[in-house]
Amino acid sequence: MTARTLSTLGIAVLLALGTGGCSKFKKKDAGAATGDYDFVSGSPLPERSGASFFAGNVDRSMFQPVYFGYDSYAVEPGERSKLDPIASFLRGGGKSIILAGFTDERGTPEYNRALGERRAQAVREELISMGAGAADIQTVSFGEEMPADAGGDESAHAKNRRVEIGVIK
Amino acid sequence: MTLSRFSAPGALALAAFAIACAPFRASAQEAPVITIRKGDQIALAVGTLGGAEGNAVTAILQNDLSLAGWFAMVDAARAGYTVGGTAQGGQIQGTVTDRNGGVVLSRTYPGGRRGAHQFADDIVETVAGKKGIASSRVAFVGTRSGRKEIYIADYDGSGISQLTNDGSISVGPNLSADGSRLSYTGYKSGYADIYVIDTGSGSRNRAVKFPGTNTGGAFSPDGGRMAATVSRDGNPELYVVGTDGGGARRLTRSRGAESGGSWSPDGSEIVFSSDDGGAPQLYRISSGGGAPRRIATGLGYASDPNWSPDGTKIAFTTRGGGGFQVAVHDLQTGQTRTLPTGGSAEDPVWGANSRHLIYAQNGAVYLLDSVTGRNLKVIEGVGRISEPTWTR
Repeated sequence: MTARTLSTLGIAVLLALGTGGCSKFKKKDAGAATGDYDFVSGSPLPERSGASFFAGNVDRSMFQPVYFGYDSYAVEPGERSKLDPIASFLRGGGKSIILAGFTDERGTPEYNRALGERRAQAVREELISMGAGAADIQTVSFGEEMPADAGGDESAHAKNRRVEIGVIK
Repeated sequence: MTLSRFSAPGALALAAFAIACAPFRASAQEAPVITIRKGDQIALAVGTLGGAEGNAVTAILQNDLSLAGWFAMVDAARAGYTVGGTAQGGQIQGTVTDRNGGVVLSRTYPGGRRGAHQFADDIVETVAGKKGIASSRVAFVGTRSGRKEIYIADYDGSGISQLTNDGSISVGPNLSADGSRLSYTGYKSGYADIYVIDTGSGSRNRAVKFPGTNTGGAFSPDGGRMAATVSRDGNPELYVVGTDGGGARRLTRSRGAESGGSWSPDGSEIVFSSDDGGAPQLYRISSGGGAPRRIATGLGYASDPNWSPDGTKIAFTTRGGGGFQVAVHDLQTGQTRTLPTGGSAEDPVWGANSRHLIYAQNGAVYLLDSVTGRNLKVIEGVGRISEPTWTR
């Protein structure tokens, strides 16, 4: 158990370095080798539970949304403390959640659907590294649909680049 | 630096024009006597067709042949080819004669818009030796009902009809080349699934419904498979999957998000975008799997690629000019240029002729001639329109 936690922590650190600190290095490298493209990504998702994020059987008000930078799926250090109560809630057992990823309106809708999903998965990996069970966390991306703020300025964009946490009742 | 080089319009537009017209020049030389060209276009006259529906059909033909780009519309006296015929009783009898009065095309078509578009495409094929776009169907997302639903229309914006009525979120349509099937991303289940509609029978299948998000079902050229973004492994990756959702095969393993898969015309490769290296960039990969290769577009942002049916060019969305722009990367020369769209534009898709693109701008569909730079709003009035796609 401790060994497993340590190794998942290690992966989390690598992930954090990779998604945040190493982005410049990755950019410089992107044209050259295809070998560096290979990456064993996160934990497979569980089968769907039948719950639907915007339906009545999901409580979307229990936890604060996690916000993201433009075009980024890195969980910012300032947002990380929001994950503590979620991880703790899931470690208690018997509960499962849906993480819904969203983007601002800039960029194409299809690109934003993928980016929203990547954001939800980034939060999911963090929670798993904090001891939450992979089988208890679903993801979905709405991309630029269902904005939290319908405005077109940067303050609206910042509110829309988010992952919302829905607790399945 | 690269950006300013690519945006110099004159020289590059000329170069592109020369490249695009090279095959046409070659074919025109085979019949130099009867071909009168105005610039690099074939001089064509469209006389008013006889019969009760003659005026209506003539108007459609003139619009189609003008938009086609291959022709200079002139008087009969100066024409290399003249279009004529009759339209009545739900039937079009169409003819094309050359300068010497020789009949190069004579055929009967159904009446109305469908027949007129077919006639126009036959004229393009017979006279210019190119595939026409007039019979193409365009699918897109519209918000008229208050929800995002999928609509379909003729390429010139006529005959708009609503295809989905899910009342949830229906987005990301892709048409098969022949238009017999349409895929889209729907949220009826609460998750993002890829639905496939048989456009003939209207039957629908929730085809790709893995855990997580499933989106971007792009049909292979033969219509038998789809490229798609699937996140079941814990990351959005590029997959190839059967049109019924079976036989799913993962192609990429990356840290980033893959999206926007589009097939090469022979089905051997898929181009897609990945933000594995920061901002999205284009990669190509064998559709059977293997190592992806980055396509050096020279631009810092490249998403939603679309491979031309002739295999030589990839159109995509780039960031610039205070918004987003349509760019084309030529696989033969390695050159990239951004196209003049007069405002923020995204999601370009090649037509059957590998010359015209449709794209989304300000909630409407625009048709862009990549050779002349001429662009025109063709579909609007269904609320806010996005994500156009068309048949080939």
